[in-house]
Formats: sequence, structure tokens, C-alpha cells
Amino acid sequence: MVETAFPLANEQVVVSAHDLSVFYGETQALKSVTLPIARNRVTALIGPSGCGKSSFLRSLNRLNDRIPGFRLQGRVRILDIDPYGSRVDMIELRRRVGMVFQKPTPLPMSIYDNVAIGARSHYGLRGRRLDEVVEQALRQAALWDEVKDILRRPALQLSGGQQQRLCIARMLAVDPEVILMDEPCSALDPVSTFRIEELMVELAKERTVIVVTHNMQQAARVSHYTAFFMYGELIEYGASKEFFLSPKMQATEDYISGRFG
Amino acid sequence: MESVGETVFIPARTGRRVRRQIIDRVLVLALTALAFASVATVLGIIGFIILKGLPAISLSFLTSPPREGMSAGGIYPMIRGSVLLMLGTLVLVLPLGVLGGVFLAEYAGRSTLSRLLHASIASLAGTPSVIFGLFGLAVFVLMMNMGVSLLAGCLTLALFTLPAVVFTTENAIRSVPESFIEAGLALGLSRWQLMWKVVLPNALPGILTGIVLSTGRAAGEAPPILLTAGIYYATGDLPRGWDILKQPVANLPYHLAEGYRQGGVIPEAIVWGTCLTLMLFVLLINMWAIIVRTRVRRKQAW
Repeated sequence: MVETAFPLANEQVVVSAHDLSVFYGETQALKSVTLPIARNRVTALIGPSGCGKSSFLRSLNRLNDRIPGFRLQGRVRILDIDPYGSRVDMIELRRRVGMVFQKPTPLPMSIYDNVAIGARSHYGLRGRRLDEVVEQALRQAALWDEVKDILRRPALQLSGGQQQRLCIARMLAVDPEVILMDEPCSALDPVSTFRIEELMVELAKERTVIVVTHNMQQAARVSHYTAFFMYGELIEYGASKEFFLSPKMQATEDYISGRFG
Repeated sequence: MESVGETVFIPARTGRRVRRQIIDRVLVLALTALAFASVATVLGIIGFIILKGLPAISLSFLTSPPREGMSAGGIYPMIRGSVLLMLGTLVLVLPLGVLGGVFLAEYAGRSTLSRLLHASIASLAGTPSVIFGLFGLAVFVLMMNMGVSLLAGCLTLALFTLPAVVFTTENAIRSVPESFIEAGLALGLSRWQLMWKVVLPNALPGILTGIVLSTGRAAGEAPPILLTAGIYYATGDLPRGWDILKQPVANLPYHLAEGYRQGGVIPEAIVWGTCLTLMLFVLLINMWAIIVRTRVRRKQAW
């Protein structure tokens, strides 16, 4: 299914982009990026602001569609889906590919309903079965103990860190196979950040996690693979250990040593 | 730092500074005066009406029907009629206006059709209310054979308030943060679920405020119901069941208009009392809008 994946010798490839370019009107956000991503691993996308890493992420579940002037060239495969094929089922795509955003976005409803909404709509769960799924998702997101007695309260009353874990629980309740995270910790305090990092590692045991981050320590801590983007191009991609210890490209070294960006 | 104790030296352009200060003072004074003038005008009108109307108002004035050929008694039927007209208008305009707003915000896009719709609704919003009254008379009362009736009045008022409700709904929906919509999409909600579960609840405070405010405005309008729903002689009795829709109803703005037209039949005190009641009625509706909005906002404060 995939072109010879350069750093992914013994991995199963679950997401692949081939010669992928993204345009917003006249500006090109992504320049023929080819990037295979390994199953059940954490892959970090790093790079300076506007380098195209978020564009790449949002192209995978077609969240860029709403942006006026959005255009895409090249091939994308995610799981066994061609997101830009003519027969794609967007609801199915987004069931199997979950997403967490930079800003926590709990919906204006109760904590319980926030987690239940996806499971209800995709699997038609109700009553006891739904309760179980909600509890399990909240436990997995390390939020259950804090909210188990206030499930009926509006989700917007939670703190920022709790809200972000709620968004993760909401996504987990849909049981996605691939998880896209767009700077999930950048609005959070260090303690919440730490918990979510732990969670990423935990999740990657049976799911594929792709995380955009500005925090290089975070990328080094949690990810198995790291891809460095600059000016819409993929500069370097490799196993995180080698990537951070001995980068091959000068630009990568400059960036991770804090010389710019 | 060493320079903490130092005085900061400002170049002495004293003349210019004094002139600036004077201009500043004068402007503030002028603006304050203008603000007071506008507030005073409003308070003056309200005070005048209260002064004239309050003596007429009593519990029995508000709760009993007119007596002796409208020359005595209360205005209970008019209040009841106005409430009925408002409720009917609300029921009619709510689905139509909200669906229209949803369509314009989410489905019409930037097409020529959407621009055409916007332009026509905007001109509808600017149409004088008396034209709605004549339209109601021609179409609902005569052409559709409803006669002068509550139903015809509600339909006319619903048309009158429709543009405002459509526009406020559209704006409320458009101002729902994109992040919520993206969150819903990323969860794989269908377009309908997204609208119903995410967008509408978020837009609700804005939509409710718009609806109540525009019904409040409609409550005070005489021209639309003058020819379609109003009746001069009113009793305390109401027809039973759905027949109520086929009968004309007395109501506050109509009573007020007739109060002057009939020249002296209705005593001046009653007219002023009606005037004050109508004002309070509209005020009450608007206050309700504010209460509803703050309640809903507090429930979902972010």
C-alpha cells in the first residue's frame, strides 16, 4: 500500500501522504509532502508557525474543507480510506479518525452529554451501555474521578485542563483508530500537560497518535517518530531518538537547538 | 534600577498642552450634555405618560371589561387580546423565522440566490407597518376569507416580524465560534446533528433575544392589526376553542388608536391609562427577553 517508507523499517503504515500539496487561494501551505505514519505509534509534527504541520493534520480528516479557497493535490490514504475520493463517507472517516484541538472545545451541554454525543450518534447506544462507554472514556482520559459526581453539570464549568481531557474522552468514546492532536497542550498548565502526555503514550498502545506541537521537549518525550516541517516542506523525518540527538539537516539542528522558530 | 528617584523631564510645550486640555474639557462637557439631553427626552416622555396614565390605572382597570358603551370600566379584553396576538405571532414566526435564518446562515452560502434573499428580506424589514396591514387586509382578510380575525392579525404581525427574526437568527448562528463547529465535525456528527446539537444551542440566546424583541415591537404596532384583527366594542367573554381564531379581538394599540379617532367617547383618562399599560406591556416583554438571555448565557457561560 505504501512507497518504501524511509524511516519506518519494521512498522505497519496506517496513514500515508504522497506528493501532497495544499493551497489556500494563492498561498501554498504544503509543498509535495510525502510522509508515511506508523500504526500504534506517536508521531510528532514540529516546525515554526505557518510551516504547514497543522494543514497536514487537518487534511487527514478533511477539516480544511470549510476554509475558503482550500485546494489539495496529491494522494492521501488513511486506514483504508481515501479521504478525497469521490465515494468517501465523511461521517465514517471522522468516526475512525478522531481529533483534539488546541483550544478545549466542550460543547454547551452537560459533561455526560459531551462524552455521549459521539457514541450515541455513531453506535446508537443508550441507557446502561452508553453509561459504560462514557465511564470508560472518562477513565481512559484520567478525568473520571474528578467528574463522576458532577456528570450532569455543564461542561463549560470545568477548568481548562479538565476541559481538554473531556475533549479527549469525547473523542475516545467514538473509539477512533487514528487520533489527530493539534497542539493539545499549548493552552494548558504544566501539570495538565504532563497528564495529557502520559495519555498520549498510553493511547498509542492500541491507536495511532499524530500530534502537532510547538514544544520540542514534548515531542522528544512522547513521540516515536518526529517530522520537521518548514515553509510547507518536510525537511526531516525519523525516529525521535536519532532525530533529536543527531539531526541530519542543518535546518533541523538550528531549529531544535533553539536558534530560530 | 538606579533611575527610580529621578523626575521624568517632559519638554515644556506648555501653551499647546493647555490648549489640548481645554479642548478636552469642552468636548467631555459637550458629550455629557448631549447624553443627558437624550436621556432626559426619554425620561420626559415616560414621565409624562406615567403622570397622565397612572391615575386611571388600578387593579379593576386592568381586570374588568369596559362598561357603558366604552365610556367607563377597564381594559381587560384589550390586554388579553394583545397577549393572544403576541402568542399567535410567536407561534407563527418562530419556526418560519428560525428556519429561514438557519437556511441563510448555513445552506445558502454566497450564491446569487442568497444575495437576492438577503436583499428582499432587508427591504421587507424596512417596509412601513401600514403596508403589512393593507397586505393582510387584502390577502388574509379578503382573499383567503378569514375576515377581520385574530388569525389574520397574527399572520400579518408574523409577516411584519419575520425579517427581524430571520436576520437575528442568521447573525446568531454566524457568530457561533468556528471551534465548536469544527469540534462537532471532527466527532463525525451529521450536518443535522451539528445544527441541532451544537449550532442552535449556542445561538439560542441571540435567537431568543431577537424573537422577543421583535415581538415586543410588534406588540406596540397599531397599523398591522388595525385592518386585520382589531375590534372596537369588547366584552369580557371569549369564544370557546378554535373559534377564538376566527373572531376579531380588542387589543391595546387598537384601543389607543380608536380612543383618539372616536373623539371623546372614550374618556381621556382611560386613553392615557391604556397608553401607560401598552408601554408597560412592551417593557415587560423586553425585560423578559433580557432575563431569558442572561439565564441561558449563565447556563452555558464560557
